[in-house]
Amino acid sequence: MTARLIIGALFMVGLWALVAKRNLVKKVFGLTILNSAAVLLFIAEAGASGGGAPIMGGGQRIVDPIPQALMLTAIVIGVCVTALALGMAYRLYKATGSMDIEEIRKRLGNG
Amino acid sequence: MVETDLALAPVYLPLVGAALAFVAKAFPRKGSAAAKALEYSGAFVGLALPWLALAYLAPLAASGGAVEGVIGGWAPQLAISYRFDGLAWMVDLLGFSVAGAAWLYALGAGPKGPAFTSIFLIQASALAATAATTDLFNLFVCLEVLGMASYVLVTSSEKPGAFLASFSYLMVSAAAMVFFLLGVYGLYRLTGALEYGALSRGLSALPKAGGAVAAASVASVAAAVALRTAVMPLYGWLPDAHALAPHAVSAVLSGVLIKTPLFALSRVLIALPGGDEVGMLLGYAGGFTALAAVLIALSQKDVKRLLAYHSISQIGYVVAAWGAGTALLARGEPAGTAFLAAAFMHAFFHALFKGLLFLTVGTISDAAGERDVYLLRGAGKALKAAGERLPITGLAFAVGALSISAIPPFNGYASKAMLSYVLKGRWEYLFLFAAGIGTLASFIKLSTIFWPAAGTAAAGAKALGREPSPCPVPDPSLAVPDPSLAAPEGAKAAPYRMSASVGLAQALLALACVGTGLAAPAFYAAAVRYIGPPGAYASVPALYGPAELGKTLIVIVGGGLLYLATRTKSGKAVAKAIRERPRGFHGLFAAFCLGLAGLYFWMTYIA
Repeated sequence: MTARLIIGALFMVGLWALVAKRNLVKKVFGLTILNSAAVLLFIAEAGASGGGAPIMGGGQRIVDPIPQALMLTAIVIGVCVTALALGMAYRLYKATGSMDIEEIRKRLGNG
Repeated sequence: MVETDLALAPVYLPLVGAALAFVAKAFPRKGSAAAKALEYSGAFVGLALPWLALAYLAPLAASGGAVEGVIGGWAPQLAISYRFDGLAWMVDLLGFSVAGAAWLYALGAGPKGPAFTSIFLIQASALAATAATTDLFNLFVCLEVLGMASYVLVTSSEKPGAFLASFSYLMVSAAAMVFFLLGVYGLYRLTGALEYGALSRGLSALPKAGGAVAAASVASVAAAVALRTAVMPLYGWLPDAHALAPHAVSAVLSGVLIKTPLFALSRVLIALPGGDEVGMLLGYAGGFTALAAVLIALSQKDVKRLLAYHSISQIGYVVAAWGAGTALLARGEPAGTAFLAAAFMHAFFHALFKGLLFLTVGTISDAAGERDVYLLRGAGKALKAAGERLPITGLAFAVGALSISAIPPFNGYASKAMLSYVLKGRWEYLFLFAAGIGTLASFIKLSTIFWPAAGTAAAGAKALGREPSPCPVPDPSLAVPDPSLAAPEGAKAAPYRMSASVGLAQALLALACVGTGLAAPAFYAAAVRYIGPPGAYASVPALYGPAELGKTLIVIVGGGLLYLATRTKSGKAVAKAIRERPRGFHGLFAAFCLGLAGLYFWMTYIA
């Protein structure tokens, strides 16, 4: 239960940063935290079936390996998205001299 | 078996092409003949060879057959499964026709280079993969790859505004995909499966089909995909991204990218319990979208933004029929096939004519150096000055505009007639009819760019003087002007020259618009055969009956009157109010959360 509560709190923190923070980099942080919360949820819940390493024939109750495989993929995708977002934030900063999304929108005009 | 090997060819051939094009980037001398040859052969492998595979698979897909399998020979519960059937075949056809034309266009008008080609091909591959997957997590991966390729492609115009548009698109889309992931988690936790069939069996075995958790999971998955499709209220990211992307990319984004996830979603919804409710609500949202977006489009100033809002409106048409069809099929009523076929037909025809419109309007605005629909005049003259001998661009624009306004015999008329045939008697029908009037009015407005420049002296002089005024001008008072961003703008100041591949791409799409318009009844019958179960009914309605033509006449008169109304003083004031309504980053998320919550409550308490 504790794990679920912490993951829920992380999720909320990430979503809040993503929506409410005006700084581009903080928005990217928020996205990363949000993504990590989803990853942690999968991993924590995969352990419900047991804690052993997923090696067949080991004799103990093993962790469900599928969520772990899925989350490896999700982490890779998350890293790519983060890198791309940071690259865009950098270009926006270079073009406008600001990291504040409202300020950037103002400086670029509404077009 | 050859079919089994070829079924994934539309996925892996573009990847091979992307690898070839990417190797071309490593050549020391940029633009050397060898690098070019490698890049073009990559594009050939990725965009032309899949046609051979599709041609070979056509009989199989047409007979209602399907290639089903898993990747890598794992046990079925563990492996990633795919299903290449008629629906996947048709979506591939849509994707590769528009992508091929758009790449040709980019060859002449930019963006160019191996990096662009490479990303473009990765996107084509992801499109084909999205169309064929039957694994929920793989759908997530495909959508993410598709998304990432499109974020990069939007920014390839190198305009600062495009970076902001792409950043907002990325943020809201990536956040939506986290919700998709939560949906995957909920469904996996309930059933221990990811393949659609196994998910469906698992959920049906549960009491109340999984109850609130299943409903919330399906709602999360559907809302995340609906965001990609830009159904209202989840449309906010689209206008900026599509308006500021390079023209060739806009064509693919509007033509293909917003539709592929939709048809992938219909597989999920048809399989899962509760899918019919989601389909129904999305269908209603589609009808509303068609009308609301056209009103916003009518008030736009920027030519490409106007087209982008029309994309939202037209996807509303598609979603209205798609939602109704998916809901029927999810309940096991084969009548839904007719709806889905009509939706696909409009999606395909819209991809052709909207792709064409983005390319031609892009050419015109580049040639004239002006993007404001109220200032851009004398487009024909500007094109001639850009070195166009035959008026291909003008004719192609006319074909596109007549198609989208549903004037017979162009393809938009056929698909909209088919949509109104299947949706007759539903209230969405009225919305779509009203949206048709708005569409015609706004394309009368857009066609004024071909008016001679003399009437509006100041604007005309500007258009012909070809001042370099790319629309999203960065504010001159920028704190840190960036030379690397300013350079491409400076390069554009050189007079725009038409190139042969631009003309070729436009001519191809225009011919496709006319051809599919003439062959529409056969196309519809084929679509029903491809999508539906074997023996699905395909009664093709009369396209050119007196009732249909009478309705077209009403639309034409209504559209003309509406256009005149927008030229009045109060009409202009309304347009200004709509155009300058506040839009912001928060709105995107508020809309997503609202949409998600609405979908959940609809599924749990209303439907």
